[in-house]
Amino acid sequence: MADIDIGKAPPNSAVLPFYATGAGAFWILCFLLFISTDALSQHYFNPHLLAIVHTAALGWGTMIIFGAAHQLLPVVCERDLFSPVIASLCWYTLTGGTAILVFSFWTFTTGWLMISGGSLVVFSALTYFINALLTSRICRHYSVVRLFIVTSATWLMFTVTVGLLMTINLSYPFFTKNHLDILKLHAHAGLAGWFLQLITGVSSKLVPMFLLGKSAKEKLLLYACVLQNAGLLLFLTESYFGSITSARILLYAALVAAGVVCWFLYLYDTFRNRVRKKTDIQMKQTFVALLCLAVAIAMIPVVVNARGYHWTVLYGTFAFMGWITGIILGKTFKTLPFIVWNGHYKSLSGKVKVPLPKHLYSEPMVQWQFRIFIIALLFLATAILMNNVIVFRIASGLWLILSTLYFVNVMKVLLHKTKILS
Amino acid sequence: MIISLTEPYSNEKLKAQQALYNVIDPELFVNVVDLGLIYEIAFGDDDSISVTMTLSTPHCPMGEAITNGVKNALEMTFPGKKADINLTFDPPWSFEMLTEEGRAQLGV
Repeated sequence: MADIDIGKAPPNSAVLPFYATGAGAFWILCFLLFISTDALSQHYFNPHLLAIVHTAALGWGTMIIFGAAHQLLPVVCERDLFSPVIASLCWYTLTGGTAILVFSFWTFTTGWLMISGGSLVVFSALTYFINALLTSRICRHYSVVRLFIVTSATWLMFTVTVGLLMTINLSYPFFTKNHLDILKLHAHAGLAGWFLQLITGVSSKLVPMFLLGKSAKEKLLLYACVLQNAGLLLFLTESYFGSITSARILLYAALVAAGVVCWFLYLYDTFRNRVRKKTDIQMKQTFVALLCLAVAIAMIPVVVNARGYHWTVLYGTFAFMGWITGIILGKTFKTLPFIVWNGHYKSLSGKVKVPLPKHLYSEPMVQWQFRIFIIALLFLATAILMNNVIVFRIASGLWLILSTLYFVNVMKVLLHKTKILS
Repeated sequence: MIISLTEPYSNEKLKAQQALYNVIDPELFVNVVDLGLIYEIAFGDDDSISVTMTLSTPHCPMGEAITNGVKNALEMTFPGKKADINLTFDPPWSFEMLTEEGRAQLGV
């Protein structure tokens, strides 16, 4: 082979445990929702909602994103992953840390247990940060995607460190600011720093690959990066060091929103200039997820100005259950079957007839997953707005069905046995 | 890839091309010939086959599977010969490299 390095996929141990654990955490998240009907109808700082949100953010969102990122960092950087061993360490500490943290929130056991859970999560984020930084440091080409990976990993470090300080503050108060004010900063550093920037960066690489599309408007991604970071930084700085007004919050939210619009315009341009005209169910699910992000952002003026906490809970629901969950549900079956297929059939390709990656999972289940996702989200939003227990029961039941479908389909892929077609 | 019937090893090249129609890109479900990934196939006098090819994207996650597929398919078709893959991104792959059949299969 010529001296061009096409790279090797990282070993499965650096990727697959994250998918398996993430699928399990999603089921647990939906189960917790199902058994705590009252969590979403109370003020958002309640033990059960804290446990649910951290299961969603760490056990589900971050877990799957870490796994996918370990697989995709080499694609983005055109280099092998810096260290698969560090990636495995990242899984152990995130799994342990999240389990301890969620249990501590659910039972509201403050003290050393909660702090040790938070410490493990910080350690996990640090291992990811090291892998992301050292893989992207040796990138062949500069790209804005690489920039997003570095900025998002930095924001993750910031978010989890603030989170750890908050767990300490619950037992040994030392914040000069109100704990709930810091909670808002912690949540938004996570949402607009970690999740938004990572998803912006990775999707800007993956969507063109999946659609066989191209956009010449790469500048839009640079604007997106600058605007998203500027808006978030200004919001955090002024909130912490000054007393921020509603108008200022909206101004900084508008900056982040403008960054999101730039990213959407880039994706739209790629979509218009695509070769692959047929849009599959996973891409449709991704589109609905992006719509949920737009809805969440559009709600910010209401959240800032309205009295009560229902709008805040609804905003969080569209962000976590609509946008992040939707993106993961859509992208899982665009990545996981290929990773598993590679392990089974890479060396057999061309020798014998083998199944294709799409044969490793159930397509009808993915279609049902998409339908139930939309209905479950609409029911949940209605339940929160109406504060109606029966609607909430139906919604959480639908989420439980959805997570079961997803879990079974992920396991079908992970437990696939090598098959040779006759 | 265009094969002239008057060039040396044209029969072997046609046979190799036929074999490569069975190597499918696992993501796009189109064979590597119709995708336009194969730039050149050369037969040496020393029982070697040299394939110059590209991938749709550098560091494609399916890259190893595709290059393995090409190597395996050729070594199965020509027992005793050794296939070498020369991977190049010059020129980089573009949509224009798809054959008519490849376009049809992708629904373009």
